[in-house]
Amino acid sequence: MRKKISPYFIVGSIFLLVIVLSCILGLLGAGPDPEKTNSASKLMAPSMSHLMGTDNLGRDVFARVLSASKYTLLISFAGVTVALVIGTVAGMLAGYFGGIWDRIIMLLGNSVMCFPGILLALVAVAVSGPSLFNVIWALGLVFAPTFARVYRTEVIKIKGRDYILHAKILKVNPIRIMAVHIFPNAFAQIIPAIVIGLANMTLSESAMSYLGLGVQPPKASYGKILSDAQSYITAAPWLVIFPSLMLVIYILGLYFISEGIRGDK
Amino acid sequence: MSYIDYILKVNDLSLDFGSESSKTLHDISFDLRKGEILGLIGNSGCGKTMTSLSVSGLLPKEARITSGNIIFDGKDLLKLSEKEMRNIRGKEIAMIFQEPYTALDPLKTVYKNLEEVLTEHEDLTKDERRQRITGMLRRVGFEDADIILGRYPHELSGGQRQRVLIAGACLLKPKLMIADEPTSSLDTVTSMSILELIKSLCAEFRMSVLFISHDLSVVGGICDRVIVMQSGKIVDSGNTFDLLYNPINPYTAGLLSNSRLDPKILDLKFNKPSFSSECILRVTGLSAGYESSRGFRKVRNEVIHDITFKILNGECIGLIGSSGCGKTTLTRAVSGLIKPTSGTISDMKGRLGVVFQDPVTCLNPSHTVKWHLEEPLKANHIKLAPSELIKVTRSSLEAVGLEEKILGRKPSQLSGGQRQRVAIAMCLMLSPSLIIADEPLSSLDTTSGARILDLLSKINRERNTSILLISHNLRVIRAATSYVLVMDNGRIVEDGPTLNVLSDPKSECTKKLLLAEEKLHQNPDRNQFMTE
Repeated sequence: MRKKISPYFIVGSIFLLVIVLSCILGLLGAGPDPEKTNSASKLMAPSMSHLMGTDNLGRDVFARVLSASKYTLLISFAGVTVALVIGTVAGMLAGYFGGIWDRIIMLLGNSVMCFPGILLALVAVAVSGPSLFNVIWALGLVFAPTFARVYRTEVIKIKGRDYILHAKILKVNPIRIMAVHIFPNAFAQIIPAIVIGLANMTLSESAMSYLGLGVQPPKASYGKILSDAQSYITAAPWLVIFPSLMLVIYILGLYFISEGIRGDK
Repeated sequence: MSYIDYILKVNDLSLDFGSESSKTLHDISFDLRKGEILGLIGNSGCGKTMTSLSVSGLLPKEARITSGNIIFDGKDLLKLSEKEMRNIRGKEIAMIFQEPYTALDPLKTVYKNLEEVLTEHEDLTKDERRQRITGMLRRVGFEDADIILGRYPHELSGGQRQRVLIAGACLLKPKLMIADEPTSSLDTVTSMSILELIKSLCAEFRMSVLFISHDLSVVGGICDRVIVMQSGKIVDSGNTFDLLYNPINPYTAGLLSNSRLDPKILDLKFNKPSFSSECILRVTGLSAGYESSRGFRKVRNEVIHDITFKILNGECIGLIGSSGCGKTTLTRAVSGLIKPTSGTISDMKGRLGVVFQDPVTCLNPSHTVKWHLEEPLKANHIKLAPSELIKVTRSSLEAVGLEEKILGRKPSQLSGGQRQRVAIAMCLMLSPSLIIADEPLSSLDTTSGARILDLLSKINRERNTSILLISHNLRVIRAATSYVLVMDNGRIVEDGPTLNVLSDPKSECTKKLLLAEEKLHQNPDRNQFMTE
C-alpha cells in the first residue's frame, strides 16, 4: 500500500521552502545592500524599486528581510542542535541508568525548566555579552531539558524490550547499547519535538532580538527588524507587516510539518 | 431439529485492499445458528480477523468489500449507515479481544470502563447501573465484585482483565459475541476457566459466539461447529466431533497434528541424555528478585526462592508453571540480568543464548537481519575475516531454515515465525552450549510453533546444544523434554523425568496444570452430537 503524505506536511514544506529560498537569496546577495543607508529615501512605501519599502534609515526592507532569514535560520538550527546534543546525552544517561543518575540529571533539568526559558537565556546573554554565538548556546541550554525529557521517557520504554535484554545478555557494553540499540529507535519519536523546538527557538530569538539582546546591528533577524520598526508602526506599517509575515510563515510551516509527521503514524 | 434459526449468515463475502492482488477474503460463506458456538480456525494471516471485523463493521479504512452480504438478524449489515451500525455494535454484537490490557481504558476504574457501555446504549439510573454491573461481575466469577469495581486495569491479572471484558460484552445481553483469540495470551489454567465461562454464558443468555483461534485442538471443548480457513478461503467445515476425530481435509489434519505436537507425526527427535554427560550449568539454592525504591528506602521483593537444578550437556530440560510463578525471573537470574540475593550459578561451560517469547520485541526494529546476526560477535569482540563471517552467518541461517536473501530485511518485513528464527540464529552465531527458550511458541500460531520446536530439536541433536525450554503448555514439554522442573510461587515443587512427572504428578500445581490441559484439549463428547 502506498503511504499517503499528509496535506499538512505538504503545506508546511512549501512554507519552509519560501523561507529557505529567501535565505539562499540573502546569502547570494540578491537585491540592494541590506546595510546601506540612504537618507534620501527614508520610510518609502513599497514600490517597484523597493519591493517592501524602506526603513527609517533608508535601507531596503526586502534586502533586510532576506538577510534576516539567514540569521533566523542559523540561530534556530544551531540552537536546536546544541539543545539536541545535550538533551540526547543527558536523557539517554538518565533513562538508561536510572536511580541516582536519573535523579541528579532530572533535578538539573527541572531546575532549568522552573524558570521561564526566555528569562534564563536573557540573563545568560546579559552576563556573557550579546553576540550571535552567545545567543545560540544560551538558547540551546535552555531548550535542552525538553529534549532530555522526551529521550528519557523513550529510553525507559525501550530498555524493557526483549532486544535490549538480549543485548545485555550478549554483554554488549552500555554505551553501545545506548548508541546503536536504543538511539535509532528513540529518534523517530523525537522528530516532532525537534520541529516544535525550532519554532519555539525562533520565537525566543525574536523576543530576545526585540529586547536588544539578540543579533546586534547592523545585522538583522526578524525580531530585530520588528523592534527597530516599532516607532514607525503607524507611519510605515510595511516595516512591520513583511518581517512578521515571514516569521508567521516560518513558524506555521514548522508546526504544519510537525502535525504532518504525527499524522503519518 | 427441523427449523433452524440463523442469527448470522455471511454470503460470498470478498474483501481486498484496493487492488485485485491484495484480495484477503475469497467468497466466504458461512452461517451461525442461535445459541451456537462456531469456531473459526486458521493460521495467522489467513483472514479470520478480517472476517470478524467485517461482521462487526470495524474494518480498516483501506479495506473494500467487493461482493457478498452479511445478514445479521434479518438485516444486511453492509447496507446500514455508520450510525445504525454503531447501535448494533455493542448492543447486539459484542467483541472480546486477544489482548485484554489494551481493550480497557487504563485511566478508568473497572466500574467506569463498564459503565460507559451502559450509558451509551441504555437509559438507567445510577443505582440500576451499579447493580447490573456488580451482578454481571459476580456472574463472570468475581466473588468480591465490589472491590474489583474500584480497581484499575493494571491492578488486575490477565485472566481477570479478560473476565472484565467478557462482563462488559455481556452487559447488554448481545445476540452475538465475537471472541478473537480470547485465550492466546493466557496460561493453560486461566484459558480453561475463560473458555468454560464463555460456554456457560452462551447457554444462559442464548447467545451465539463466533470463536476465533489458531489452535484447532482448543476448540474441541467449546465449539459446536468449526470452519477452517486458509489464505482467505474456507477450506473445511463441519461439526467439531467429525473434524477432530476424523479430519478428511489434509490441511485440517496438518493443523491438528501441529497443535497436538505429536512427536511421532512431527518427527521430533531430541537428544536422549546419558548420565555420564558433563554438567554445563549448576544452580544451587538460587534466590533472586527485584529492587524497588519507595522514597529513599529500598524494598527488596524476592520472587524466586532456593532454586536448585543442573543441566547436562546436550540435554533438553523443561520448566513449567503458570504465569507469575517466577519462570521469567529465573531466566533473568541465570542469564545474569539480575543479581541473585543468595545461592550460586556455577560450572557454566560455554556461552548462553536466550530466545524470548514475544517475536515483536525480540528484534531491534531499526536494524537489518544481517546486523542482528553480526551484533553478538561484535559485542564479544570476536573479529572474523569477511569470508569467515559469511560462512558463520550462512551456517546459522541454514540451521534455522532461512534463506540468505532475508539478510537485508528489517524485522517489520518478517513474519512472527521468521523473527523467532532470526532470534535463534542470533544465539547460534556464538555456538552456545545452552539455549534458554522462554515460551518460544506461545505467541505463534500452531504451524509456526511446531516448526520452531522442530528447529530446536534439530539444533539440540546436531549441535549437541542443551536447551532449557520454558512453557506453560504441557504438550510442548511432553514432546520435547526428557527432564522437567515444575515451578509454583517461586519455588521448584517437583522435578524428575518428564514422563514420570506428567503421568504420576506429586504436587498440587502439576495436578492442576494437567487437569486444565486435559480439559482444554478434551475431545468433544460424542453424545452431544448424537442428539441432533
